[in-house]
Amino acid sequence: MRKQTFSLAAVAAGAALALTACGGVQTTAGGGSDSGDYPTGAVNMPVGASAGGSSDLISRQISRGLSDELGGSFPVINREGANGALAAAEVAKAPADGSTISVQNASLFAITPLAVPEDQVTSIDDFDVVQGVSRDDYVLVASKGSGFDSIDSFADADGKVTYGTTGVGTGAQLACALTFNVNKTPAEAIPFDGGAPALTALLGDQVDTACLQVGEAIENIRSGKIVPIVVFGPERVEFLPDVPTAQESGLDVEVAQYRFMTVPKGTPQDVQDAIAGAMQATFETSEYQDFNEQNNLTPMEISGDEVVAQLEEDKQRYADLVEEYGIDLGDAS
Amino acid sequence: MDFSAFLDGFGVVTQPGNLVYCLIGVVVGMLIGVLPGLGPAATMAILLPIVYSAHDPVAAIIMLAGIYYGAQYGGTITSVLLRIPGEASSVVTVFDGFALAKQGKAGTALGIAAIGSFIGATISIIGLTLLGPLVAEFALDFGPPEYAALALLGVLLVATIGNGNTVKALAAAAIGLLLATVGSDSFTSADRFTFGSLNLEDGIDFVVVAMGLFGVGEILYNLEERHGKPHVPAAIANIWPSRKELKEAGPAIGRGSVIGFVLGVLPGGGAVMASLAAYAAEKRVAKDPSRFGRGAIEGVASPESANNAAATSSFIPLLTIGIPANASMAMLYAALLVVGVTPGPQLIDERPDLFWGVVNSMYIGNLILLLLSIPLVGIFVRILRVRPAILAPITALITILGVYTIRNSVFDIFLMIVFGVIGYLMKKTGFEPGPMVLAFVLGSLIESSFRRSMLIFDGDATGFVTRPISGTILAFVVLVIAFPLIKRAFRRRSTPATAEAAASEDAPREDSLR
Repeated sequence: MRKQTFSLAAVAAGAALALTACGGVQTTAGGGSDSGDYPTGAVNMPVGASAGGSSDLISRQISRGLSDELGGSFPVINREGANGALAAAEVAKAPADGSTISVQNASLFAITPLAVPEDQVTSIDDFDVVQGVSRDDYVLVASKGSGFDSIDSFADADGKVTYGTTGVGTGAQLACALTFNVNKTPAEAIPFDGGAPALTALLGDQVDTACLQVGEAIENIRSGKIVPIVVFGPERVEFLPDVPTAQESGLDVEVAQYRFMTVPKGTPQDVQDAIAGAMQATFETSEYQDFNEQNNLTPMEISGDEVVAQLEEDKQRYADLVEEYGIDLGDAS
Repeated sequence: MDFSAFLDGFGVVTQPGNLVYCLIGVVVGMLIGVLPGLGPAATMAILLPIVYSAHDPVAAIIMLAGIYYGAQYGGTITSVLLRIPGEASSVVTVFDGFALAKQGKAGTALGIAAIGSFIGATISIIGLTLLGPLVAEFALDFGPPEYAALALLGVLLVATIGNGNTVKALAAAAIGLLLATVGSDSFTSADRFTFGSLNLEDGIDFVVVAMGLFGVGEILYNLEERHGKPHVPAAIANIWPSRKELKEAGPAIGRGSVIGFVLGVLPGGGAVMASLAAYAAEKRVAKDPSRFGRGAIEGVASPESANNAAATSSFIPLLTIGIPANASMAMLYAALLVVGVTPGPQLIDERPDLFWGVVNSMYIGNLILLLLSIPLVGIFVRILRVRPAILAPITALITILGVYTIRNSVFDIFLMIVFGVIGYLMKKTGFEPGPMVLAFVLGSLIESSFRRSMLIFDGDATGFVTRPISGTILAFVVLVIAFPLIKRAFRRRSTPATAEAAASEDAPREDSLR
């Protein structure tokens, strides 16, 4: 009997071990630096966000595409924390042979530095950018109860307008802060832990307005429960054709979140080319295009160099705007 | 409610293919629930590609939903047998569940938990079916001030659940609140107690604290004990609860289910508050509250019913207003997007087959889980017969793996071991980890909700009292504090003659003060 119970426990523990192994696959084999046969082993794709968010979903979609195009496996590993800085640090110090690649967010490099202490700033110089992926637009929405329906209607506000944001150091916070400052509307930021709680507060009339990602807000906009005011992209969003951009409404505010593939600095060019080629092939598939549409993502499939140029430009522009209007994103900046 | 659509939903579920997917989902869910750390959200992420390749995407959604509520059943097993709660909402189950296991009644505890889970979930699905959109509106009325008031009530309840010294419980709770402040301040991004480490930037994960204080602490404590006395495996007399125990647990399951359903609708902290409130409620209505923490069957039945009911009602915000209440719901949101459906107010009208298919699959899934639990309880309790010399390292391994899988961080493993040492020292000195862990969970909720409220009120705190819901909760808080005091004052005046009666009343009275 003793023997049997022990083997039961062993089986249970064994099953537990096997299941855990599925959770965080860490394969040591690296990618080859010889041309033509990349990858030679499993390629880790750390993502700086938890399971379920858009960063995670995009990484998983790209991972599927790479795996179909190149063969081999590209396990996505959730390494959330510090706005993505933890995952970035891991990629930066990984061997530069293509065995670790990561889809990263523009906000970590262009916006987060405005809110966090100097020593926590992640620099794009630690990475080679391989390929642009897609853009995720922000939209300013108002609750039904607030009565706001356009930028002009803020002039009638009595007292401070409250705006929910998806957190400190996010593009949503920057977009909203800039809007109210440029428009000279007295306003108060209410930071929430992500888009879902901010949307909940807006639906419940707890805050007057909020800046959210289009995908988070779109269904409630369509059903008329919240009122879209402006979008912050360079042009109107395909999914909300009737909503003007901030520029069209007379505000010089343009903030967007976009994502791109990065590898550790110094990764061989042929490996980078193989990844970029496979990603471009993935972009052509209808499955990937449907994915973008379902998640309200606008393709931004530009080259790595263009991404870096855009990042540098955005970073400077945001820093200038924040300084000009005396906006404080985080006390620690 | 469209009744024919509701019935058609059963037609969807009972298709053999969908039944198989439902079965796979709940079994996988139960297994990953047993292992702390690898939660349902991560599992759903790994299995998400199935939605693309399944012959029928509705079946895949049914399976993913099954993983989520199946995991709630599995989580109880480690809480009761090994004292490692995998989720914040099963911390209170540990108190009486582990005590029962030590008395050789692990089977009773697990049996009652399975039955309570089934009833709680079923009541909650019925609530979801009939009242879904209505309660969703209630969740929207819950703004930051209401969460702040609710969390304050929670901290007060934390103080009542301990079974030892009140001062020690309060001290542990205070340390828990302090631990909750670690990390980057979510309002100003200023670093607090991070000591320059990026690993602490997002604060400490609940699982790290709970596994360390409960699981590792227990292992260390047992190592010391082991040299004192030979291991006598607890006699496992009854695998299944007796009729008398079922009768005792019945009302507790009912109350727990209702509390769980109502609080579970609240995104963010709903499930923890539900299990905590359910446990505290049982302790208050019990004739002899001192039994709690020493193996009271209601102490397992009520919170387990509550956390399953809460897990089920957390589907409501997703399905009716398109808000994912937790990470698992966010994965389900993503899965629905793949099918081409954006969860939101239109879902029930646009895709009634999907809505009712998924909702009705939960009736069947929970039934499967109950039937599965019966033989599994018998197997799992045998783990307790394994010698500590073998069980302890296995438990240690499970906790280490569990903590590692949360965010693939080795740092977290070391942090857990530190908490393990703290847990051991606490046990040696008579402090309980329960209040500390629960206060830790509620701490960030209370702080961020309070600060958010003050921003919304523009610094005017009277808003807490004038808003109807938060005002009511705060009145309740005052009542909970004042009631025992008034009762004591009243008793002292009315019964000066019978000192004997007063003495016999002493124990429960002290207890109700906690």
